Amino acid sequence: MAINDNHIVASFDRDLESIQATMIKMGGLVEQALSDSAQALRTRDSELAEKVRAGDKIVDDLDLALKSDAARLLALRSPTARDLRLVLAVMEISSHLERCGDYAKNIAKRTKAMAGAGAITGTLADLARMSAFVESMVNDALDAFIQRDPVKAAEIIDRDVEADQIYNTLFRSFLTHMMEDHKNIAVGMHLHFIAKNIERVGDHATGIAEQTIYAVTGKLPEDDRPKHDRTAFELQKSDL
Amino acid sequence: MDDLRRIERTADMNDTKISAKGVQVFYGETHAIKDVSVEIGDKTVTAFIGPSGCGKSTFLRCLNRMNDTIDICRVQGSITMDGQDIYDPRVDPVQLRAKVGMVFQKPNPFPKSIYDNVAYGPKIHGLARTKADLDGIVEASLRRAALWNEVKDRLESPGTGLSGGQQQRLCIARAVATAPEVLLMDEPCSALDPIATAQIEELIDELRQQFSVVIVTHSMQQAARVSQKTAFFHLGHLVEFNDTDQIFTNPQDTRTESYITGRIG
Repeated sequence: MAINDNHIVASFDRDLESIQATMIKMGGLVEQALSDSAQALRTRDSELAEKVRAGDKIVDDLDLALKSDAARLLALRSPTARDLRLVLAVMEISSHLERCGDYAKNIAKRTKAMAGAGAITGTLADLARMSAFVESMVNDALDAFIQRDPVKAAEIIDRDVEADQIYNTLFRSFLTHMMEDHKNIAVGMHLHFIAKNIERVGDHATGIAEQTIYAVTGKLPEDDRPKHDRTAFELQKSDL
Repeated sequence: MDDLRRIERTADMNDTKISAKGVQVFYGETHAIKDVSVEIGDKTVTAFIGPSGCGKSTFLRCLNRMNDTIDICRVQGSITMDGQDIYDPRVDPVQLRAKVGMVFQKPNPFPKSIYDNVAYGPKIHGLARTKADLDGIVEASLRRAALWNEVKDRLESPGTGLSGGQQQRLCIARAVATAPEVLLMDEPCSALDPIATAQIEELIDELRQQFSVVIVTHSMQQAARVSQKTAFFHLGHLVEFNDTDQIFTNPQDTRTESYITGRIG
């Protein structure tokens, strides 16, 4: 009557490993897409932007494949306890990664649309910094999941505050530039959406971290973290 | 998370029906149950799960003193029903078993008619004064066991001529005919096909409106489906006793987790 780490039915373990492997593969592709989209934006590289845009199809396909494997696993294995939480968490994380891929794709599309237009001085470096920051959040969130480390996952949730703050600063900067010169509006709008996309990736990294905590502890963290995106209240203050 | 189903599941679990404290069971030298304490709720389905030989059936059989019939079996500790010690020498085990009915793994109808199978208990316990009373009890019991419509035109046919699932429902009708307060079920579905199993499970859910039901099952999915409380036994110990949804989504003991996820061999 030994207690093992592995299932008596070995193919059950292989199924669980398989959906996690797909998730990790998606994670790698999404991190690359985020980094490529930031580079394409910084260097005005339409070719690289096009590569990011086209590559999102693979992430979408992997998400669908993972969901279908997970549905099969739920139907055939009836997982319980930590196995059940693992499958549910992997499905959620897959959705988060798929959305992150969409944001990278949208950044790439806007980069192509802005080709030839003048940039707003200074903000591209900030966007690149913010992008690298949330990319590291996604990377660390996946690491925390693989290591089943809820403490590390909780740290990532805290880090999202910083991503929100960078976004707030950029928002004000775009607003100022657009108010100063209406010729900046077209580019300013694109750059703002890019910043918003990057900020959303940080939220999804937080979502991945929350799923890690759920998978390990069986409880989702209480949603009491303060919201640091203040831009929803910005209009009243700047009094347009 | 307080969805309707959850409220429905936990609504009537206020009262304790049976309370076991420090129960030990020995078969000769074998220590089969080791210091088990558990509170069985009224109008609740409680499932006992665990690997073969873990003591779950032995413990179930303590609850209506079925172990009395085994000479070498000794039971220590206290088991009370509604506050009364069921092992008190003044308690008549036959009367106790009318209040605490039992359904077994293999359907075991008497080699008598369907009617007599159900009427037997009420007759020997003197629950019916007239034939009409008895007819009423038989019909009500068969209805409660969801069997009436299938057998009402052949009540005089032998109970053994029914299908396996019908025989098991006949045994449930026989058990509920004595107006028990607790129904013990030892693997009631393991000899049945999935449809008969689903019918029994639906019946268990109906029965818990009136009774406290305790079910021993090897099917963890069945425990998850029918019960509100689950107790996990291992090597004679009660390892974990908690709300069923808690046991199956987030068990607290690693042994419980290993067992229900299929990692214990």
